[in-house]
Amino acid sequence: MQKVVNISLNGIAYQLEEPGYNELRTYLERAEARLADSPDRAEVMADLEQAIGEKCRATLGPHKTVVSAVEISNIIREMGPVEAPDQKAGEGATGGTASPHATASESGFHPRKRLYRIREGQIWAGVCNGIAAYINVDVTWIRLAVALLTLFSWGGLVLVYILMAFIVPYADTAEDRAAAFGMPFNTEELIKSAKKNFEEFGDRYRWRREWRRQQRHWNRQFRHMSEQIRMTTAQAGPAMGHAARFAGGIFVPIAALIGAAVFVVWILALFSLVTQHSIFGWVLPHGMPLWVGILLLVLLYTAVSTPLRAVRRSGQYATGGYHPAWGALHGLLWLGFTVLMFWAAYTLLPGVRELVDQLMWAANLTATTISETIA
Amino acid sequence: MDLPEKLAPIRKGLLEFVILKIVAGDKVYVADMLKLLGPTEFATQEGTLYPLLSKLRREELVDYEWQESDAGPPRKYYKLTAKGRTQLSTLNDYWKDLNRTLADFGN
Repeated sequence: MQKVVNISLNGIAYQLEEPGYNELRTYLERAEARLADSPDRAEVMADLEQAIGEKCRATLGPHKTVVSAVEISNIIREMGPVEAPDQKAGEGATGGTASPHATASESGFHPRKRLYRIREGQIWAGVCNGIAAYINVDVTWIRLAVALLTLFSWGGLVLVYILMAFIVPYADTAEDRAAAFGMPFNTEELIKSAKKNFEEFGDRYRWRREWRRQQRHWNRQFRHMSEQIRMTTAQAGPAMGHAARFAGGIFVPIAALIGAAVFVVWILALFSLVTQHSIFGWVLPHGMPLWVGILLLVLLYTAVSTPLRAVRRSGQYATGGYHPAWGALHGLLWLGFTVLMFWAAYTLLPGVRELVDQLMWAANLTATTISETIA
Repeated sequence: MDLPEKLAPIRKGLLEFVILKIVAGDKVYVADMLKLLGPTEFATQEGTLYPLLSKLRREELVDYEWQESDAGPPRKYYKLTAKGRTQLSTLNDYWKDLNRTLADFGN
């Protein structure tokens, strides 16, 4: 007896034996990762799903409704590994030397680190993400610094950000991404450096790896959940497509609202901690230094915002696949809600107003001191 | 490195050319393309072909239309665009030049 898993391939439901389902999921996840940099990712994934679906259908008959694990293995073998066509190969029959071989031959070569914008996990245009990769610091710190500097520069930094969003290119190919992180981009080098890191810093990075693993686990679970939601919607027919889009239309703003609320509360808590040595009136335990309090707040924020992000992503996945427009919409709404809530907090809560006025006063003082020193 | 491995990059580079040639005829479905390529040196798989076709479509060399099928959902049938046709004739000329050059070198 075999357990059977219901799946949807490009909108059509199939029943697979569980081991087959696992194998297929691995194949599709790997394909998606390979195409991560390709602008055609969504299209190719849909094509692949349809092709797999067709092959599955060919194995079924009036007295056979389940695709067996062996059949899935055969189908995957027939499909072959997914390869993104080499962007730089140009217009086909040119020189004849395919560049994968060129890169393999230079396998001692480390790409120079360069500043790129990075799409994965971006809130707005991926600038902070790129800087974080460039100087190898957690992106939360960069965002915090940008938020603070924006306040201190009376919004001047926003212009710099917009400028960078236009000037700094996205890391769109594997090589770009490798250069963005200053990491080797062929597998051999990657494994070599991973081994080296593991030996040298095994203990130091253990907690971090554990955290990443937990994140991946959440992502997987939510994705699995949404896979089922998607399947139900797919079975319900084309009319549900609009319902899904509608649900996405509600879901994205809600996610942006919650995300912005968490962010605003967190920033205010940080401010109140730094300026008054208490978080909204709650004084740090005696003997606890300020930096521990700040660190705790940062950890708390990460702990809250990471599952939120996972839910958001899986939500987008469930409602018709991830689309850059959703990301942009989310970023826009997030920014709007954040500004709105800061404004509301400033006008409605006297404590916050006091805090901001204090900050502004401090900023003014710094500015005048600097200008006097220069003059 | 043995011979077939040495020639692999050449085949890979030519695959795009071959696809344009196939699509230049009638509208084709991917499964039929694979069947056509299967017995040749250019035998390939969906995992390679779909990403390549998407790239060609982005470059506006090929286009597709949906056609109903008797079994299952509608299928994408690919065809050559005007831009693709110009490129194909350029490639054809280039290929002839290459052959001529090779022939000129003798053996």
